[in-house]
Amino acid sequence: MNNLQASISLDQNVADYINQEAEKVISIYRRLYPSRELRFVFREGKNPIFGEAIVTEGKAALHPGQLGADYLGQMTVPSPQGDGLSVTVTTTIPRLPLPNEYRQTVAPWAPQRPLKPVFRLFPMLYEQIRYLAEMLRKKRSDGRHMITALPLGKGSGLFSAPGAPANDKRPAVLIGMHWLEVGGAEKLAFDTIRWAHEAGLRVFVVAGIPELQRLQGQLPDSPDITFLRLDRYLPHHLWPRYIEDLIRAENIRLIHIHHCTPLYDALPQVRSMTPWVKVIDSTHIVEYADGGYPRISGVWSNFIDLHHVISGELVDYYRNTFHVVGKVRLGRMLDRDKDMQAMPEFNMQATQKSLHISFIGRLYYQKRPVIVMEAFRRLTRWAVQNNVELKASIVGEGPFLTTLQGLARRYELQDQITFLPADTDVPALLEKTDIMLLPSNNEGLALVCYEAIKHGCIPVSTDVGSQYEIVPPDLLVPLPPRATVRQILSIVDQLWRDPAFLARQKQELLKALSKISGDMTAREVLMPIYRDAARNEG
Amino acid sequence: MRDKTLSPLDKTAAVIVTFNRSAKLAKVIDALQRQTRRPEVILVVDNASTDDTQDMVIARAREDLSIRYLRLPENVGGAGGFHAGLKAAYEHGAHYFWVSDDDAYPEPDAIEKLLHAIRQFEAENQWRPSFAASRVEWIDGSLCEMNTPRPVWDWPRFVRPNAAWALVDSASFVSLLIPRWAVEAHGLPIADYFIWFDDAEYTRRLSRSYPGIFVPESRVIHDTPDNRGVNFGLVNEKSLWKFRYGARNEASWRRREGGLMSVLSYAYGVHQQMKGANVPGKMRREIYASIFKGLGFRPEIKTV
Repeated sequence: MNNLQASISLDQNVADYINQEAEKVISIYRRLYPSRELRFVFREGKNPIFGEAIVTEGKAALHPGQLGADYLGQMTVPSPQGDGLSVTVTTTIPRLPLPNEYRQTVAPWAPQRPLKPVFRLFPMLYEQIRYLAEMLRKKRSDGRHMITALPLGKGSGLFSAPGAPANDKRPAVLIGMHWLEVGGAEKLAFDTIRWAHEAGLRVFVVAGIPELQRLQGQLPDSPDITFLRLDRYLPHHLWPRYIEDLIRAENIRLIHIHHCTPLYDALPQVRSMTPWVKVIDSTHIVEYADGGYPRISGVWSNFIDLHHVISGELVDYYRNTFHVVGKVRLGRMLDRDKDMQAMPEFNMQATQKSLHISFIGRLYYQKRPVIVMEAFRRLTRWAVQNNVELKASIVGEGPFLTTLQGLARRYELQDQITFLPADTDVPALLEKTDIMLLPSNNEGLALVCYEAIKHGCIPVSTDVGSQYEIVPPDLLVPLPPRATVRQILSIVDQLWRDPAFLARQKQELLKALSKISGDMTAREVLMPIYRDAARNEG
Repeated sequence: MRDKTLSPLDKTAAVIVTFNRSAKLAKVIDALQRQTRRPEVILVVDNASTDDTQDMVIARAREDLSIRYLRLPENVGGAGGFHAGLKAAYEHGAHYFWVSDDDAYPEPDAIEKLLHAIRQFEAENQWRPSFAASRVEWIDGSLCEMNTPRPVWDWPRFVRPNAAWALVDSASFVSLLIPRWAVEAHGLPIADYFIWFDDAEYTRRLSRSYPGIFVPESRVIHDTPDNRGVNFGLVNEKSLWKFRYGARNEASWRRREGGLMSVLSYAYGVHQQMKGANVPGKMRREIYASIFKGLGFRPEIKTV
């Protein structure tokens, strides 16, 4: 407890929250400045997500803006050694989120202002314009981003490299996540936290992007697992020093980066000051506009001991762009015990009287939800013509939800389409689904496609990323919006009408799943590394 | 051996350019893995080979993390390959670049001897050689004709009984060690040359700072089909395309460095060689046309 609570009469929940957050802030800066006197000035944040920390080494002079209406109070934590040197940290403490913010922090999507009438009248024309703009952006992005690996000098031998200090703490791993929100990469990151724990490591988790971190409740409940809120309270430029101190203090032997930019930026510090630490990363998807995290990872590849990738496309990407071969390991996001035991029976039969089609994904532009709606509109018409009872499910939340609900009303599809929340029992839904649509403009190798096949559902996807590894060629659709919809319609019609085509696609899907099952899984690639780290072996 | 040296930094990258010679390339990689002074990076630049080169290199690279693989989208010739490879190795942060062909097998101490010589020379004489070239031998142990370095007029200036390093201003891309400073100062090989004279142009360009050194104790075996030098008297239907590149490239370089008179002098020499060997007129005309083309061929020199 600190003196804030004593001085202010507050609702107990709010007081507890502020105290807890203040403790987190103190803990972060105590590690960074173990011998200094720490002076904190706390203000109430206007947003529920991130603090705005400003760190001044020395006694900072306060200015009126820091003592305004949002001023919460200040406290001083004395130096353990009493040496008198101070550090001043002024930070906001994010306010508690409102219930609706907890569900969704991104504002509902709206079309670009000059094009609003276009979207209102012709949603697909708007989609086409956006697609062309995206492609232009892709074309122009060539050469804008660095695509060569940063050099790492081996040193001269004149100066001895620092050695690992003796540490009686059990070995630990630092796992850097993008954020603790819903996503395929995050699913793997959560798995790796569990595997590392299982291997006997203590686990420290950090996130690169400040968010409500809604999934932090899913972290295993164990004193060995600690989530450090650097995303909220530590400016990025201080991460490298903090990470070095954390490594030394907590006997961290391994760093595993999952799309965490500030951890990549900390690598020069890690490599020079704590060279005994092994660094690995996992990447998922080459973003078409700038390469995304695989590009960042490749740029840092000389600082990284092993790149774990989830698809063959990424193996090729590292080789072709960064000339790296030997330290790239393919590990599929599959569970050999659960996912690869029995081959599934598919739900769909030719010319069946009812058809259930689903879309499962975050409702962001990347998943192209407007195209999903257009496809459902056209499929509804098709179903009427063929006397098929069509049922559609849309699972997911995001800024496009309101737009989709509006389109459903406008197309008079309320009776056909069911909107389901993100925490829906997806396997149960897939068991009842015949076809799953995934018309994304970018994917790595979508986990939901594995899920779909495993539960007997046929995926139809755009031909992007590594989707060709799991989806047969006849079920891949082109990227331009109109062609996507046209081809989805054609594939659904053929699957329904042509038993031979349907049987062939089922076979192809099983073949693809079986081929992928022959590769190593992520767990098989990563577990030996965790075990080595737990044994204090490089 | 302990080198005298001016700098403690010696990270070395081997750059091998290859095209459809996976068996020979495998032997080169073997030879590099046996080196007494192993390069920290072995960069294989693949000129879009259509044989099993890619599979072979990837299989080797999975076992040996120092091997890196740069596959070019199309065959840009040896010149384009060395340009791309040297650029990538430079970006990798190496201090020395050992460049060589995919059919030249360095003796186990070849790179160590080159490194020792260039660093020792620098420390003892206070001049920085811009490259160090191995003695290139053909498979029977004789001197490989096509890889003979060109000495400068005072080539024996620093030759000593235990350090017989002659000064040279031109050498081939077969076991050639180039320091990083030289690439920084003079840029990269000219990719547009495609093939032939790229190495001669580049080493002569590097020599503007200071000549290179010939290091006879560093030996490499060049596994070529025959042991012939570069002489326009040897042109035939099969090799004409290469000679045409050679004539164009050297004419272009001569125009740049020595002007029209130098090109005319070159053309006269080529004429004499072809006349002496009785090269058919049709081929001679093609060579003259290439020399003429070289007058207007002004490829850009790219810096790092």
